[in-house]
Amino acid sequence: MTDQASKSSNSQSTRTLSILVENRFGVLSRIAGLFSARGYNIESLTVAGSSETGLSRITMVVRCQALLAQQILRQVDKLPDTVEAADLTDANCVERELILVRVRAPEGKRTTLLTEAEIFRARVVTATPENYVFEVTGDSGKVEAFLDVVRPYGIDEMVRTGKVALHRNLTARTAENGETASPAAR
Amino acid sequence: MNAQNESKRHPLAGKRMTGAEMMIQVLAQEGVDTVFGYTGGAILPTFDAIFRYNAAHESHQDEQIQLIVPANEQGAGFMAAGYARASGKVGVFIVTSGPAATNSVTPIRDCMADSVPVVLICGQVARNAIGTDAFQEAPVFTIMSACAKHVFLVEEPEDLECTVRTAFEIARSGRPGPVVIDVPKDVQNWEGIFKGEGVLHFRGYENRMKSLSQSRLPLQDSKDFFDLLKNSERPLICAGGGIICGNAANELREFAHAFQIPVVTTLMGIGSIDTTDKLSLHMLGMHGMVYANYAVMDCDFLIVIGARFDDRVAGKVADFAPKARFLAHIDIDAAEIGKVKTVNWSHVGSAREALADLLQHGKGFKKDFSKWLAYLDGLKQQHVCNYDRESNTIQTPHVLECLNEITRGEAIICTGVGQHQMWAAQYLDIRDPRSFLTSGSMGTMGFGLPAAIGAQTAFPDRRVIDIDGDGSMRMNLGELETATTYNLPIKVLVLNNQGDGMVRQWQKLYFGNRFSGSDKSLRKKDFVKTAEADGYAFAMRLTSKDSLKEVLKKFVEFKGPAFLEVMTDQDACVYPMVGPGLGYGEMITGDYILGRDGEENTFEKSANPIDSF
Repeated sequence: MTDQASKSSNSQSTRTLSILVENRFGVLSRIAGLFSARGYNIESLTVAGSSETGLSRITMVVRCQALLAQQILRQVDKLPDTVEAADLTDANCVERELILVRVRAPEGKRTTLLTEAEIFRARVVTATPENYVFEVTGDSGKVEAFLDVVRPYGIDEMVRTGKVALHRNLTARTAENGETASPAAR
Repeated sequence: MNAQNESKRHPLAGKRMTGAEMMIQVLAQEGVDTVFGYTGGAILPTFDAIFRYNAAHESHQDEQIQLIVPANEQGAGFMAAGYARASGKVGVFIVTSGPAATNSVTPIRDCMADSVPVVLICGQVARNAIGTDAFQEAPVFTIMSACAKHVFLVEEPEDLECTVRTAFEIARSGRPGPVVIDVPKDVQNWEGIFKGEGVLHFRGYENRMKSLSQSRLPLQDSKDFFDLLKNSERPLICAGGGIICGNAANELREFAHAFQIPVVTTLMGIGSIDTTDKLSLHMLGMHGMVYANYAVMDCDFLIVIGARFDDRVAGKVADFAPKARFLAHIDIDAAEIGKVKTVNWSHVGSAREALADLLQHGKGFKKDFSKWLAYLDGLKQQHVCNYDRESNTIQTPHVLECLNEITRGEAIICTGVGQHQMWAAQYLDIRDPRSFLTSGSMGTMGFGLPAAIGAQTAFPDRRVIDIDGDGSMRMNLGELETATTYNLPIKVLVLNNQGDGMVRQWQKLYFGNRFSGSDKSLRKKDFVKTAEADGYAFAMRLTSKDSLKEVLKKFVEFKGPAFLEVMTDQDACVYPMVGPGLGYGEMITGDYILGRDGEENTFEKSANPIDSF
């Protein structure tokens, strides 16, 4: 393929990408298409409105190596609908994910389960005589740790939003963007 | 509103009209003089609007929009592409929904791959029928999204007018490309108030285009560039299609001459420098000139402008320009910088302005490269392109040499794809930009004939020659008739080697002479009868080389559309050849071109290619 970006030679890692786009018809399929056309599976994807009217923010987690993510982001950055695109993996940012998980909670185990949930600040959002549905918010590490703890009780069902991420401050965002996605703006 | 604004106001602003009429008004506003199109159910209102627009401009024929109807929508697309490539203006084609839209995918992708600005207007089924598997419905937005620079599906009729204007803006700005507008039939029939102005806003894109247009080369960057040049002994420019679509040929020539730097071009860059210029080393790459490839191997500073290290150019990337201590890259597309090769110096911006800035900042820079130039002159004489001149069968390079004596590099040449395309690139002089129109990246067979029709439409008085192979000619054979229908005086030269010659060449090399699917010697097609049936007053077949020059002259100078078939050697191969994925060091020069070690480098000695390409 190329002397610096080849799929096999470099180890893959999980990249968190943040893309601000015009909220128009078909934008998501175009951006997703840039990944699928190269054979990369998107691990998680969230899209919702942003602070600016008419713009949406896409947060995407994809397994690929950093250089390739950068190459794809540059292709994303060419689309007329894209406002900005950045790789937040190594950036100074906060990230969160929300999960709803239905955990088996039989009589007798309920108290210990609740105590353990308390450690993760997981909230019970609904309950039946057989189970609790917990809501947990946190970064990937916290969410995974919580799942490890409740797994022995038995997980019946689960849904996760996928990761969202935001720079800790605005200056960091503009400084990094200048380098990662838009060399044209130099 | 003041008087000045008043005079700028579109005379029809505020008038009530249909969506279809609005589209045609915007086309006129954009300066479109010709559209290529095939009608059908879902685009009928728009074709009707063209008819009525032209009827209303009966007395001012120069204001009419000429409609050229092809045999197939793919033909319309390549005509628009030929028009755009030759003129630099946005080419327009209009087709109906479903099969017409899918027939347009190939030219759209071809335009994307070669950065050609076209706008395609597709009819679509009415909004309430979209997604119901209606008659002649295809998911155009989804299909075209993966192929085009941008796609619009017009859902709000109020946006239609601005959408068409925006499509032109996106097609021609930055790195040019194709834009598709999918217009449901009820949106074409909708009536509303024509505004006469306005575009859709794309915040990110507009900012990027603004920063591109303001991006002059910083003085420090120029200084760094000339430091590299000062420290090099063997600089070489590699000029790509970006020079041509960026209208930077004059600046390139001035730059090369000012600092005495020789120039190789990519296939897409042919014409960026006059190939007869003493600084021109012609084309590099898989079938580039031997001396051009040697120059790339030997240079110590490679300056790549508007080119992107395509696999047919770079071959084995790690071995490309192995002695180049420095690599500089100028491109309008930020995504191309560092995509294939890591470079020491880069600039994102238009080639034209970057070169103008370098010229300005480099005033007074002097370095003597005459030893390098003399060395390259030696290479040029020693490793000149050659072929079997003694053969009894007609050799395509011989035909092209004879043609070149007549056209002298001044015709617009269009080609199909394959051996004849590579030979045309090697053996023809091309003096001006936008004069060698070829499907470079996509390699679409069948490109040549419709592209020639498009180019001739843009320049009715220029000599336009389609150099085609028998395989490529078969692909869009229906368009032969389009040229005679509109009495476009294109010259169609079919070099018939009875099959897909380039495929045959690879089968000889890598598939043990098993000519699976590529041999057409038993085909019954009589091309001359075909041309005659399509109304060509000049239609001839040449089987012997005795009368070649004389017939070629008659053919080229014929007033009106002309067709000439020349029967050529089925077994000839294009040399030199850098096998797919190999380095230039493994270039095969064949039996007739001298290789570097003073011997011919033949297939038998060649390394095994890797199977990536």
